[in-house]
Amino acid sequence: MSADAVQFRDVSFTYRGDWLQRIRALERVDLRVPAGSAFGYLGANGAGKSTSIKLLVGLLQGHLGEIRLFGDAIGAPRLRARLGYLPEQPFFYENLGVGEYLRYLGKLSGLSGSALDQACDRVYGLLDLGDLRERRLGSFSKGMRQRFGLAQAILHSPDLLLLDEPFSGLDPLWRARFKDIMAGERRRGATLLFSTHILSDVEDLCDHFAVIDHGVVLEQGRLADLLGSAPLALTASGPRPENAVDLGDGSWRLVFPEHERERRLAESLAAGASIVRLERQRIALEDHFVAKVREFHAAGSRLGGSSAERPS
Amino acid sequence: MILVIAGATCREAVRSRAFLGLLVIFVCGILLARLVGAISATDGNIVTTDLVFSLQSLIGVLVAVATGTALVHTEVRQHTLYTVLSRPMARWRFVLGKYLGLAAALALGQIAMLATGLAWLWATGAELHGWLLIGGLLTIVEVLVMAAVSLCWTALSSPLLAAVLGLATWAAGHAVSSLPGLIHHLDGCKQQAAIVLASLVPDLGRFAYRNDAVHRTPIEAVDLALAFAYGSLWIALLVAITVAVYRRKQL
Repeated sequence: MSADAVQFRDVSFTYRGDWLQRIRALERVDLRVPAGSAFGYLGANGAGKSTSIKLLVGLLQGHLGEIRLFGDAIGAPRLRARLGYLPEQPFFYENLGVGEYLRYLGKLSGLSGSALDQACDRVYGLLDLGDLRERRLGSFSKGMRQRFGLAQAILHSPDLLLLDEPFSGLDPLWRARFKDIMAGERRRGATLLFSTHILSDVEDLCDHFAVIDHGVVLEQGRLADLLGSAPLALTASGPRPENAVDLGDGSWRLVFPEHERERRLAESLAAGASIVRLERQRIALEDHFVAKVREFHAAGSRLGGSSAERPS
Repeated sequence: MILVIAGATCREAVRSRAFLGLLVIFVCGILLARLVGAISATDGNIVTTDLVFSLQSLIGVLVAVATGTALVHTEVRQHTLYTVLSRPMARWRFVLGKYLGLAAALALGQIAMLATGLAWLWATGAELHGWLLIGGLLTIVEVLVMAAVSLCWTALSSPLLAAVLGLATWAAGHAVSSLPGLIHHLDGCKQQAAIVLASLVPDLGRFAYRNDAVHRTPIEAVDLALAFAYGSLWIALLVAITVAVYRRKQL
């Protein structure tokens, strides 16, 4: 089995609009989602997150490059048996009831008999849909549709959950509940890939992340590595180094990158400083994201590139 | 899997208000038909029967064009097909299942109209006979062919244009049967062109037995079997074209 649940290699995709209109949505994307991970796919609206997910699901075709799911090239319908997909702003047939709709989708996923009954009961319990099973989906609010959307995505216990803006339209209680369910799915062994532009969701749930903008992946990797790369803050008293900030109570504070740790500590101690504490500053993912995207836009402006043709 | 999709499509269609609304319109129509029959100068029962069967055909075709053009397009526009196509299933199964579900719903609607129409004719004293039933069944085949025509046009164009083209195909399909009488007036090249153009649309005149049925004009068993086979072949061809288009479509 491949160590990666999802692999994009040099993937580009262009939407064909009316007549000769062409919209480049992805530009030479390389992406790796390790199996078993929780992967946050970050980007602004229109950045290319949904396009990437739709390519994985097979709703879009005609990409350049290679896309692999659990080591196999996408295309074969049987691969999709391992996927659970929650589309962005999901809609469902209005005149079908919750119960019959779930059974319908369960059958399409290959479930039948008691396995289907058990799967339905499981998601009724997880998403409080049991009392609504006779109700038609046409009467559902946005948040309720989202709940049904997650229910159908996890119904068949997929190996890979693709969730496109899963928290959209949810109240705070259900946001927390969704996070619990997603964490539970991960404990079961599923890989999570979800797109969002809400960065706190990524911090809460993910161990891997990627940032995409204008169809270009700007950064990807382990969230722990990103957070671990935050600068260190040394608080001490005694002789104050040149760049340190005076805290007013006789102590001072000096911020420096990880690779200067040994040298700075040695210099401070040699100068006779008394160390109060050494701590890692917290990276605000939001600030990091905004900085990355701005940096990308600035590089694009300097080169005069258009949207997805900007360099990464 | 195809039948699972067909079942859900059929249930969704027959529960829609539009579907029930059209049945109500049909009932109002046949009540009016009796009124027209009563004031007609000729045999009132014949006129009423003729109107009831024409109404079944007209409403059937309009519903087929409207629902056929909306069938997959609505799924694409509302993204309802995302949760279906993300499952282990080839697109051709989805399109075929959708068509079969629509066909089942249309057939149910047509049978309901036929049964209501026949019951009304019986209740009002009109004479019932087996030819009427055959006329009604051939109308159902015509409606199913028109549903496939509309589905195919939607795959190739926008829903509005598809509806216009669907109705144009219906008009052309009924004109095709009169082509043999006209073709002798054309010279070589035009004659060939007319034959080619006529072969591009289904000859819907093959299913228009209802007027003959009202007048008890018999239809040969072979002609009946050929009409069913002809309709099935056109449906298969049109659904195959639709499948080929949707196979590569960006959703």
